This record gives sequence, C-alpha cells and structure tokens, in this order.
Amino acid sequence: MPHRPFSFRLNGRERSLEAPAERVLLDLLREDLGLVGTKRGCDLGTCGCCTVLLDGRPTLSCLTLAHEVAGRHVQTIEAVAPTTGLSRVQSAFVEHGATQCGFCTPGFVLTATALLRDHPHPTREQVVAAISGNLCRCTGYTKIIEAILAAAEGP
Amino acid sequence: MHLDPFELHRPRSVDELFRLSERLGPEGFDLLSGGTDLLPNYKMHLNVRPHLVALWDIAELQGHQEGRLGAMARLADLEADPDLRHAYPAVHEAASLVATPLVRASATVGGNLLVETRCFFFNQSLPWRESLGYCLKADGDRCHVVPQRERCYATFSGDLAPALAVVDAEVELAGPRGRRRTPVLNLYDTGGDGIRRHHLAPGEVVVAVHLPEATRGLASTYAKLRVRPSFDFPELGVAALLALHDGRIQRLRLAIGGLETHPRRFDELTDPLEGELWSAERAVTLAEEVRKAVRPVHNTFLPPDYRKRMTAVFVRRALTTLAERGAAASA
Repeated sequence: MPHRPFSFRLNGRERSLEAPAERVLLDLLREDLGLVGTKRGCDLGTCGCCTVLLDGRPTLSCLTLAHEVAGRHVQTIEAVAPTTGLSRVQSAFVEHGATQCGFCTPGFVLTATALLRDHPHPTREQVVAAISGNLCRCTGYTKIIEAILAAAEGP
Repeated sequence: MHLDPFELHRPRSVDELFRLSERLGPEGFDLLSGGTDLLPNYKMHLNVRPHLVALWDIAELQGHQEGRLGAMARLADLEADPDLRHAYPAVHEAASLVATPLVRASATVGGNLLVETRCFFFNQSLPWRESLGYCLKADGDRCHVVPQRERCYATFSGDLAPALAVVDAEVELAGPRGRRRTPVLNLYDTGGDGIRRHHLAPGEVVVAVHLPEATRGLASTYAKLRVRPSFDFPELGVAALLALHDGRIQRLRLAIGGLETHPRRFDELTDPLEGELWSAERAVTLAEEVRKAVRPVHNTFLPPDYRKRMTAVFVRRALTTLAERGAAASA
C-alpha cells in the first residue's frame, strides 16, 4: 500500500513522516525512528511493554495505527528524563530495585508518570489498579509498587 | 507480528461513511473504532478485509455526556465519570472491568457492543489454526466445539451489553435509510450463530447509547468471572438491577453475557415477580432458574459446567448485594 504523509508531535518536536496505513505506532517508533526504548512484548495489547503517552494518556502503541496519531502528541520513554539525570519515577525505580531484566520498565515508568501527574498522592490500591495493564515477569510487582509510592512522596 | 496491508479511510460524517460503505461493499471493509480487538484479530489473520474505515473523525460519535454515550466514547472516560457511577452503577462497573486501563484508554462503547465473538479454536495464531484445520468462523467449514452441528458457537464477550440491558438502554443507529432507536439487546442475533452476531443493516452504524431517565439512580451491578482479574474477557458476565419499594419488587432485571453467542435478558423469569415481596429465597430460586436456562459450550478457558454453576452463584450474589444496598438506602 502507498505511503501517506502525516504530521504529529513526538517528544515535543513536530515530525512529518510517511507511512503505509497498516503501520502501527510501535513499528514507526522502533523501526522508522530508531526509538527502541518502547518495547515489543506480546504485540497484542496484553502486556503493556509498548506503552507510550498519547496526548498524555498511557496508550498501547502496538494497537495504535501510526496515522491515528496525526495532529496529536506522542511521548516515549526517551523523553521522560530531564536533560541530565533521571526523572523522579525513574530514580525511585533504581533506588527500590523495581527493575530486574528491565524489559517492562519503560512501560511501567510511563504509566506511573501519568498516574502521578493525575493523582500526585495515590493510594496503594490506585497504584495497583493503574499498573494492572503492565506485566512484569521478574519483580513480583512489590518493588514496583513501592517505587511508585516513594516517587509520589518525593525526595 | 505485522498487519497485512489495507487501505485506511477516515470519513468526517456518517453520510460520508454511508457513501464509502456502499462503494466498498459489506464484505469489503471493517469499521475501526478503538482497535483493541480488531487489530489483534487482524494480526492473527482472522477475517482480514482490504479496507478499514476509521470512525475517529466523525464528531457526533465522540464523547459522552449525561444520558448519552457516543459510540466512540472511550471506556476509560466512562470509568472516570462519577455521575455515571452514581446514576447507572452496572454500566460504570462493566466499563471499568473491561480488560486493562491501557486497553480502556482506546476501547470504545460501540466497539465493546459489537466486539467479535470469541472461541478457543478461533482466537489463535494462523499456524495454530492451520495445524488443526480451520473452523467455520474463519477460513474453514467445520466447528471444532460441536462438530456434528453446522453452526458457530463462538461466545459473545462484551461487558457493556448486559449492563446496558438491565438499565433499559437504547442504541441509536444510523444507516443509509435513516435513523432508528432500539433496545440494546435488539442489536443481537438470538438465533445462536456466533458468526452473524448482530442485526445491523448494510451500512448501518451505532451512533450512541441512550440511558433512560426511568432507571437513573436505581441500584444495579455487574459482576464478571475470569481467570485473571485484569485483561481477560468474561467467562461469564452477570448484570442485575433491583428496585424495591416497601419491601416489594418494583423493577427487576437480569442479563448475562460471556456464556452464549449473544447477551440475554431474563424477563420471562423476572417480570412475573414485579409487585411481589422480596426475600433472600427469591435470589436463590432465581439464580437456579437462570442456571438452568443458560447453555454454555466448551469454547473458552473455563469448562461450561463450572460457568453454569458460577452463573447461579453470581446471580444470587448480585441480587443479595442489591437488596442489601436497597434496604440500607431506604433505612
């Protein structure tokens, strides 16, 4: 199918690209733009490894067509950290050992970042509910939950 | 996993959509709303069509406000609406129990109403299906669940439909021949065919769901049986509504999903009870009657016997909870 042009904002920068209709956002990011922080897990919406923020909302990039983000803002894990150092959520993940193999971590960090933006002081139940679409096969979740709660408390 | 090539269309009005659907023909395209069910199915090469018509740009389908849920309203927005939680609890609970927060961010009301039916032999990868032999629902000519019958038993797996049914919601449909409103369960084919699914005319689309004033604020609930408390489709979904006045049944509705090819309401069991005194035994008797009436087959993760037994448990629990809530509210 022919490539069609479209524009969107990616990590704060306007981008004009071309993609065929069947390209999903995940492939656009990883294969066309080299942003490999967004991971391909199940590719069917079950695992949350491909989470990006679409207009601020955690969204599955494996089930979002690239053309669907035309005119919208996509934020990936590459843009979460400040120019130097790590974001508060990232630091909390490091300090609490909330990452083991690390494959699911970008998705968790983005989901947690959106949660804390909307609910700066979430309860443990709110954290558990918010991350229920992100799978982690290493940590057993306890340390991830602790890290998010600690990030909410602040330094 | 890559999607097969297709052409994408983005009509800006329902009239433009009708012109497109006429040009592409009923078998030539699928409608794309949130994509959280359609795109996984496309990735598994299940009944892929050459054109996708996205509903993203049709303004009247978007969003929800009091009493009206647009077909493209996102389930996450329903979940975040405190008024919906208060006014139509079953609908709010059903929306909140669909899959995961990530899926609900994209998934829509119309998409959940018309979600593809599911079966253990259908929702599989191409090599898996090829190795066993394709089934009636995709690429084949026999059913692996009930081989002696020539029909499809795939299970209706939406959560919203039973919940909308107990609050007497109506769907607004638009088609090339005009608009109509009909009770939500009239959408579904009740002939027990997991392929045909619905009664939409060619080119017809769901525009919105309307929640009636008459059931606003009444006690209702939705309970869902599944293996993992996140992500899974329903192995059974039970919606109930119960309004009591002076201990008597003023309005009682029961509906199920996740068990058969279509969602069902049990008016033949509940209507005769209106005006009768409520008692705990009523919940037990009704639960048993519903259990006897349902016919799940072995095409999902949990065995049908278990799903039948759990039907009785879920109906009894739902009614008991609602009766207690009603008693507490009037005390």
